[in-house]
Amino acid sequence: MPLRNFLIGFFLSALSALHAATTIIRGPYLQTATPTSMVVRWRTDTTEASVVSYGLERNQLTSTARAEGIGAEHIVLVADLKPNTRYFYSVGATAVPPPAADKKAPAEDAPGRAAINSFTTPPVAGPAQPTRIWVLGDPGTKNATQTAVRDAYYKYTGTRATDLWLLLGDNAYPDGTDTDYQKAIFEIYPKTLATSPVWPALGNHDQKSANSGTQSGVYYDIFTLPTRGEAGGLMTGTEAYYAFDYANIHFICLDSQDSDRTPTGAMAQWLKADLAATTRDWIIAYFHHPTYTKGTHDSDKDTDSGGRMNDMRTNLLPILEQGGVDLVLTGHSHVYERSWLMDGHYGKSTTFDAAAHVKQKSNGRSDGEGVYRKPRARTPRNGEINVVTGSAGHAGSATKPPALNHPAFFIALNEPGSSVIDVDGLKLDLVFLNDKGEKRDWFSIVKE
Amino acid sequence: MLRALTATATLICAGGAWAHPEIEAALSRLNADIAARPTAAALYLERGELYARHDDAVAAEANYLRAAELAPELPRLNIARGALELAGGRPAEARRLLDPVLARTPQDIEARVLRARALAALKEPAAAVTDFNTALAATATPSPDLYLERAALLPPAAALLSIDEGIARLGPTLALQLRALALEESLGRIDAAARRITQVAAQSERKESWLKRRGDLFTRAGRFREARTSYLEALSRIADLPDWLRASPEVKQLANELHRLSNS
Repeated sequence: MPLRNFLIGFFLSALSALHAATTIIRGPYLQTATPTSMVVRWRTDTTEASVVSYGLERNQLTSTARAEGIGAEHIVLVADLKPNTRYFYSVGATAVPPPAADKKAPAEDAPGRAAINSFTTPPVAGPAQPTRIWVLGDPGTKNATQTAVRDAYYKYTGTRATDLWLLLGDNAYPDGTDTDYQKAIFEIYPKTLATSPVWPALGNHDQKSANSGTQSGVYYDIFTLPTRGEAGGLMTGTEAYYAFDYANIHFICLDSQDSDRTPTGAMAQWLKADLAATTRDWIIAYFHHPTYTKGTHDSDKDTDSGGRMNDMRTNLLPILEQGGVDLVLTGHSHVYERSWLMDGHYGKSTTFDAAAHVKQKSNGRSDGEGVYRKPRARTPRNGEINVVTGSAGHAGSATKPPALNHPAFFIALNEPGSSVIDVDGLKLDLVFLNDKGEKRDWFSIVKE
Repeated sequence: MLRALTATATLICAGGAWAHPEIEAALSRLNADIAARPTAAALYLERGELYARHDDAVAAEANYLRAAELAPELPRLNIARGALELAGGRPAEARRLLDPVLARTPQDIEARVLRARALAALKEPAAAVTDFNTALAATATPSPDLYLERAALLPPAAALLSIDEGIARLGPTLALQLRALALEESLGRIDAAARRITQVAAQSERKESWLKRRGDLFTRAGRFREARTSYLEALSRIADLPDWLRASPEVKQLANELHRLSNS
């Protein structure tokens, strides 16, 4: 009997040591959030099973979701959730055991396997709900500027949860490799990754290690994005471009880098149909290459970025405007540029005519010349704001500063920063926050 | 010859003229590496790819040529050169570079797709389709674009089969369904086209424009009673929209058109 006890004890110790030896080296991070499901991903340094324990109370993670097989890259679909509900969760190879009565649950920031995080499922699509969105363009430099921009946002948002965040491409410099992503995304934003779903777009640097035609490579390996309209919108059949809903907002992500950008291509056809299909109050589109810029890139130059900026402006922007888009978010140019409420400008900057293209010539500020106003009834070509916010990792050169003189823009800044969007019912506010935490631009759109 | 001379001159004068910091940083790093290891062919390939990504085809070619001088068998070199030739509108050159790559590594999907495009540009659809077939079979998650590219090279009936193969793998993706329904109509298969529109409408929160499209399909086919039924169904869907959407000028215009069509 003592020998048997010894062997059992030895076996349990060995098992425990084996578990203790496994380290989570990436994540957890949240993907393809829908009102009733969440994809939870993480990576371990050894292969093991994939189990998410979750529940409505921190110390009651009584439900589990698992993926088949064992591996180091863990992708678990947590389904049958309630909309707009906060869930606590922990990831590991086994389910979290029920807590002892006298034992406190581990802290949210506890290291390694024991950490308990939480996420809130999106609300049912349609009805309005206050929503905070963090927008990062070209963040992945891994340098002090990137962390300063991050910290400025954390200070700004405080205890207000980030409901979702957008990456506008060039998420991990220089080549979008797995190591680049590890250093530039997973080691920089662990807290936000574990609590808020991230929705990325593909940039030119990401494409160095990815291929949209075959949906292969690092970007496509790292992210789990909707291909079948799981999160709202029409199915695309590809992760390169997609749509999703959050409350009364319809988001559209386009691939300006590596998918067909012609007006008759698959992406354009899908975009047209997707815009016609939505009944959300707000439409926010985002992609990497700006339709207009005079920052670290020049949208007037046909050869700049392989003509992608031209393509997006002349082929895709008319479709977006016809579909009633409200806000177009882009990066690529490492500056902040924000347009007037505008419509119908598809040429070079020399053809911009404020009388023809500006729908409302004000600064869009309630504490200035007044907010932008649009009818709620979706009407084609009622104007949108174009925002280039591509400086979350670095701004343009200080010694060779960009021209920043595109006439479509009300304001242009060569400063690092990120953008914060708050949507509350029929009001949308955007703030550009620089790396020092200063609000350098802001505007509102109100629908009535 | 002129291209090669230009390329060589460009290589000698290699330098960055961009205001884009990370390009300059990458270029500076590569320039320094090449200065330290001037016979490292892989560095010229990397610098060529950097130039190619930023649309400096002349500088890209110069670096590729130097890499080819140093190490003609360098992996990926001919793929990069083939891509550059194809982008420059020289499909025959692209094919010449890609043929040996695929002879050595037939499983290389990137090279296979590039050669398929080169062959399509050279008006050799059968050979292009063969390459697309191989690439699609070897790709775990192909994009709808690849299926559309292949279908464009085929006669309607075969194109339809090709598109349906894509739908079977990727699901009823909108772009594939749209191409399929156009093909169905061109083949006179009106009921099949109408079924596809119904499938697309099922995905869509707003169905009125799809139902109108189905009505238009029936109208073109001379099936006016079914067309009217579709138009009336579209009107009924419009009536179900929330007030603020129904009141939009666009929807009002569509409703007026549907009234006119259903009464004609």
